[in-house]
Amino acid sequence: MRKGAQIVLTCLRAEGVELAFGYPGGAIMPLYDALEGSGICHILTRHEQGAVFAAEGYARATGKPGVAIATSGPGAINLVTGIADAKMDSVPLVCLTGQVRSQLIGTDAFQETDFFGVTLSLTKWSRLVRSVEELPGVIAEGFYWARSGRPGPVVIDIPADILRANAEFRGPVSFSPPRTHEHVGTESTFSATLSALLQQAKKPVALVGAGARLSGAVDDLQRLLDLLDIPTFATVHGLGAMKQDSPNYLGMVGMHGTRAANMALDETDLLLVFGARLDDRVTGEPSRFAPQAKIVHFEIDPAQLNRVRPCELSVIGNLAETIPALYREIQRTHLPDFSAWRTVACGVDRAEPRKPGLAHPTKSFLQELFSRMPDDGTILADVGQHQMWSAQCYRASSPRGFITSGGLGAMGFALPAAIGVQLAKPGTTVLSVSGDGGFQMNIQELATVHRLGLPIKLVIIDNKYLGMVRQWQELFYQRNYAETDLSDNPDFVEIAKAYKISASLIKEEEFMDGERQNEVRERLDRFFASPEPELLVFECHPEANVYPMVPAGAALSEMVFEVAEKE
Amino acid sequence: MHVFHVRYRNTQGTLMRILTAVVRRTIDLAYVQAEPCEHAHKVTLLIDVNAKQVGQLCRDWRAIVDVIDVRPGVPIKELWDHVPLMPHPPQSVGIIDEARGATA
Repeated sequence: MRKGAQIVLTCLRAEGVELAFGYPGGAIMPLYDALEGSGICHILTRHEQGAVFAAEGYARATGKPGVAIATSGPGAINLVTGIADAKMDSVPLVCLTGQVRSQLIGTDAFQETDFFGVTLSLTKWSRLVRSVEELPGVIAEGFYWARSGRPGPVVIDIPADILRANAEFRGPVSFSPPRTHEHVGTESTFSATLSALLQQAKKPVALVGAGARLSGAVDDLQRLLDLLDIPTFATVHGLGAMKQDSPNYLGMVGMHGTRAANMALDETDLLLVFGARLDDRVTGEPSRFAPQAKIVHFEIDPAQLNRVRPCELSVIGNLAETIPALYREIQRTHLPDFSAWRTVACGVDRAEPRKPGLAHPTKSFLQELFSRMPDDGTILADVGQHQMWSAQCYRASSPRGFITSGGLGAMGFALPAAIGVQLAKPGTTVLSVSGDGGFQMNIQELATVHRLGLPIKLVIIDNKYLGMVRQWQELFYQRNYAETDLSDNPDFVEIAKAYKISASLIKEEEFMDGERQNEVRERLDRFFASPEPELLVFECHPEANVYPMVPAGAALSEMVFEVAEKE
Repeated sequence: MHVFHVRYRNTQGTLMRILTAVVRRTIDLAYVQAEPCEHAHKVTLLIDVNAKQVGQLCRDWRAIVDVIDVRPGVPIKELWDHVPLMPHPPQSVGIIDEARGATA
């Protein structure tokens, strides 16, 4: 006979779980009581949101499901932001939550919430466990759905009495889905159809999204893109999936994408989309997205197709299977000469107007940081202006090398997620870039960083504003900076020191001072060389903006550039 | 009005996921009937949707783990006209009535 808690932990080990992130409490106590000797290393964070973001960081870095544990009621509810984030960004995540004992469910008992109901629209799959006997099957099925197809979040809510109950346990089980979903719109002859579309095209382009790295098809995709030899760009989650030094690579597309990428997208007559959802940050005004283009969409999740407008061709399936099939077909085809189009789309005329604006020092600082990152390093960006500057400055060719909360845009993501990444990739460099607003949303996780002695390199880009909101207030709300002023920020250096983390400050003027360049660069070298966690605060101009920018409701061709910025 | 028939395995929450996909788009559920159907379950929905929403809903429903298939029906008014009127909200028993009953 085994207790429910022991069955859960044994089944987690069978699923390959070595690390779990969590925070104990009443209803989940039986699970914590059984942890010792289970073979699972538990990471105690200082808030459940820290736990779920750390689990996400682990999952995003490895591709394996991250596991977050919380108690019932408030503990579980604190996981919700991470669950929504995992849904948007296709992150395999399994959340185990304690629930009040079965008899009390529905009675508004202490720390009871209907967590199954709360998370119904945010999860890919979920279960409120009803008996100890069903635990092995539920866990196996949960992990299956978290990993399979388009990965996503799973919730397994377990009443405390079931964790305490004894049952006959014959060992972990495996799960096979009852039947495969019908793939609507799949065309067995897609390669031939696409080949014909390419023959007709004059201005083809390729857009690469997160699906490239999620499917592990990065090498196959690069081979295909080399063969197609057409202008290529990426979403924020597609960054690093392609060779950044390719003359065809135009950078990031979308609201803060490059001028070249957005113009090519506006002019193209054939858009090949590889594993991207085409959300509004990528498309600009959907009705004016790629107005002349036929769209060919390679996507694993049928729910993402035809959202902007009907595709000419939808290819549903794993890119790891569909891309090689397409490559074989294209190899046999004589492609038209796209060199004239390449010359226009990738030409120097398409570069942004070069006028050093208020953001120039911050972007230079980020470039200095990023240039020190080893090839196997990971950069995490929180959410806001620094996130977009970081995305614009990211130049590495590492599919899982740039991690951010792209779809949900959850501030406070980077610091705890960096904990998960560092634990997943010990011995590698992990750089976490946050704004002063987002950093304070999970600042308590500095205690976790210190406790574990993780050598994470933490950077705060401090403009003493909620910068991205302020930018929109400046541009679209007549500079009415309503409730975005953070000029009374705490002293981050002193706060880090209180958490026993070494910290220092660099001011923008200091960084740009030619006479002090060597000194500053040596400080950056030491920052990266340290085997300890380090925090570096970079104080930048409070009114620096992110450009280019496509205003909300505008087409991608209607980008605003830095020339419009105040001095 | 459009009619949809969604066949699903009656696992925890699957029916709610089907309904939530409608409600999150601020579409009212005019009529819903769920019933066993062969070895699974079927829910019939009558909703007022445009062509774009039809596509979105069908794709969202198909993406739900335990949904087996989705069959959109033709736009019909007749089904709605034949829905029997039910009292809503259900008539309640007042505390005074209960007290009377107890006294008696």
